[in-house]
Amino acid sequence: MSKRPLDGLRVGDFSWYGAGPIAGSTLAMYGAEVVRVESEAKMDGIRSVQPIAMNDDGTFKTGYNVSGYFNNYNASKLGIQLNLNSEKGQEIGYRLIEKCDIFLTNFTPRVIDKWNLGYEQIKVVNPTIIAAYAPMQGLVGPHRNFLGFGAVLTPITGVSHLSGFPERPPLGVGTNYPDYVINPGHTVVAILAALRHRNRTGAGQMIELPQIESMANVLGTAVADCLANGTVQTRTGNRGLISAPHGVFRCLDDPESVASPDRWVAINCRNDGEWRSLCSALGRQEEFADPRFATFEERKANEDALEETVSGWVRGLRAESVAELLQANGIPAGVVQNAQDMLERDPHLKARNYYQYLEHAEAGRTAYDGTPSHLSMTPGYHTSAAIMFGEHTWEVCERIIGLNADEVADLLADGVLV
Amino acid sequence: MSERALSGIRVIEFCDEIGSYCGRLLADLGAEVIKIEPPGGGRERLSPPHIAAAGASVDTSLAFWVHNTSKKSVVLDLESEFDLTQARRLATTADIILEDYPVGYLGARGLGYEKLKPKRPALVYTSVTGFGETGPHASWAYSDLIGQATGGVMTLAGDPDDPPNTIYGNQANISASIHAAQGTLLALLHAEATGQGQRVDTSAQEAISISQETAMQTWDMQRTNKIRSGSKGMLPIDVPAFGTYEAADGYVFLFILAPGGEDLPALVAWMAEQGLAEGLEREPLAEVVESLNMETLTALMSGAGADLASKVTQLSEIDTAIRKFIKTMPARVIYEEGQARRLLIGLVSTPADIAANSQLRARDWFLTLEVDQAVTIEFPGPPYRLSETPAEISDPPALGEHTDAVLAQLQSEVP
Repeated sequence: MSKRPLDGLRVGDFSWYGAGPIAGSTLAMYGAEVVRVESEAKMDGIRSVQPIAMNDDGTFKTGYNVSGYFNNYNASKLGIQLNLNSEKGQEIGYRLIEKCDIFLTNFTPRVIDKWNLGYEQIKVVNPTIIAAYAPMQGLVGPHRNFLGFGAVLTPITGVSHLSGFPERPPLGVGTNYPDYVINPGHTVVAILAALRHRNRTGAGQMIELPQIESMANVLGTAVADCLANGTVQTRTGNRGLISAPHGVFRCLDDPESVASPDRWVAINCRNDGEWRSLCSALGRQEEFADPRFATFEERKANEDALEETVSGWVRGLRAESVAELLQANGIPAGVVQNAQDMLERDPHLKARNYYQYLEHAEAGRTAYDGTPSHLSMTPGYHTSAAIMFGEHTWEVCERIIGLNADEVADLLADGVLV
Repeated sequence: MSERALSGIRVIEFCDEIGSYCGRLLADLGAEVIKIEPPGGGRERLSPPHIAAAGASVDTSLAFWVHNTSKKSVVLDLESEFDLTQARRLATTADIILEDYPVGYLGARGLGYEKLKPKRPALVYTSVTGFGETGPHASWAYSDLIGQATGGVMTLAGDPDDPPNTIYGNQANISASIHAAQGTLLALLHAEATGQGQRVDTSAQEAISISQETAMQTWDMQRTNKIRSGSKGMLPIDVPAFGTYEAADGYVFLFILAPGGEDLPALVAWMAEQGLAEGLEREPLAEVVESLNMETLTALMSGAGADLASKVTQLSEIDTAIRKFIKTMPARVIYEEGQARRLLIGLVSTPADIAANSQLRARDWFLTLEVDQAVTIEFPGPPYRLSETPAEISDPPALGEHTDAVLAQLQSEVP
């Protein structure tokens, strides 16, 4: 097997919920040994959040190890139970950090302080560590200890105000959006950059990723428009600034889509040529002659009528057929897919083997997200299913931290490894 | 000059909308990123809004600015044989090629990985495309909207009575760029350790699909699809203090029943201080208020919340009182005061709220960039702060600003 980019590196993953553990998961998929620290004294809440794996009789499985939400972000790691509220627990934490190349957390500074895990503190035990802190609001500043999850970060950063239809209140986007790609992705980029620096100079460093800054950075156009021009943009539905049509159009319902029968196709004509092709592909040459739609400026000026017209053309067709027909004519189009499509019906994702299925002792055989960056020589992949709570406590204590069996037994008895 | 994280790395970038943010991340961290642009510029340079004080031009698109800081710009026409020759010579000086052209476009012009690899065995060649380099849809036409649609996030966003919603800000492109940056840096570490280069194939559809949250696992484990539900999120019914609430001058988002903060009685106490508790502090409603916490929500999400679901009238009464209370105060005040009381409340920030955000201001997040001699603007700061090798953001290049200098230098590099 080919050497992987992060082989030989060890990560102390002192994070929880979404953004932190996902960053750890990416590092694990490329070869790092990632030790995820958990404790029943501060349980990772998503261990009990839906979706929960089911038994054959339709009932939910029970316990801490069967949440698909948690499991997807915690495969290929080692799991240790360690209570960092106790002084003894913190001492064991330091001994683990001493053996790590990378430290990762997304707790608020209030918790970091309580656990004595500040950079100045851990640097003492490991001077060349790369320490990544990704709290919601950053480590300093008046809002440093504000409460928050991705659910609150979505509105705070501006995603909610800018997304959706203008006549609706800001509903958000149905998910804790910044948690899954933006914040963990930026965290990993920063860690990898710091690794290169360490490879060249031997020096470690601290990374601070305030989730609010990381997310606001990628809403830059609207933020910059306000800073530079004083313009306060608001949500504009699905419309585009330099394309029309640019939206989704309802097609025939799909009774096979479980709980999600309404079916939509996304269509985007980026120029007059693509609009001409769209009309022609759908056998609507006469509408192409409609002066209201002749140029981009006209289509933009008559966008309500344009959308109504295109809707009428596709309402009686299958979304898949429309997407394929338009794509055959070079027009950007695609089905608004649901998870059933993604996992089972999209021939493209299947051909690319995007999802990875892993056998888990309690949850059974389930799907995990793969890596959207396919490296030809050193691909990322999972080597084991999600960690069960405390699954590797003994192994981590003995093999990595260097405790002997008596010491581990004492720590268990003292309630440190819980 | 101090070492930057990506000092000594040259990136030749052939990107427009999909991959330009990836190039920006590398450039801000110290790589020399030379962006090869077509005459007249790509679509991103044409995107409004522009920097008003500097006038609308290919050099003042804010969409271009936020995705192309710290780079150099060289104009070469890849449809012209003379310019192509220059591009091929430039490509042989690259540690990293970053491109987002339709699959096969650069390969057909002698700029594909197989052609460059013999000359640069350690080359990292990153393609950022809508659907990736392989598979039946590899050649499909792509734009951000199509990525969000086929990537599964739109079906989750919006009100059930509306069409599915897009997420603002070309997030399929952004997600692809961030994943491409991860893949590129991983491949770079590998190349520097072993001398072995490789291809990095990034799919925007796959990248944005990770943001489906739990929809993928829900289908996998429970054979049902998650659908858009307004601001209810994962909850099957409307629950008080959870979702978007209208303030006197805007909106706030309440998530009070989640763990970590105070539960609903703390909000009711605040309402009572203002004389607006509307009976929520007394029975029979107080009992319901007390019962609303993460435990009950978890039960509700697991279909075991029949007890709570039977109290729809009381829940609605509680919610009405909360809505009335929130409506009496400005959104920023509710956010600051609510958080001070350890209530999980978020401001639904407008861009003006971001620009005025007291945390971001106190942290000096915003930068000042020079547009021209007469105009400077404030600009969003970096996504992260590295203590030893910080991201350093300089203004993006004017179209073709470095064409002459880079090509002159190329004469000496590749005679």
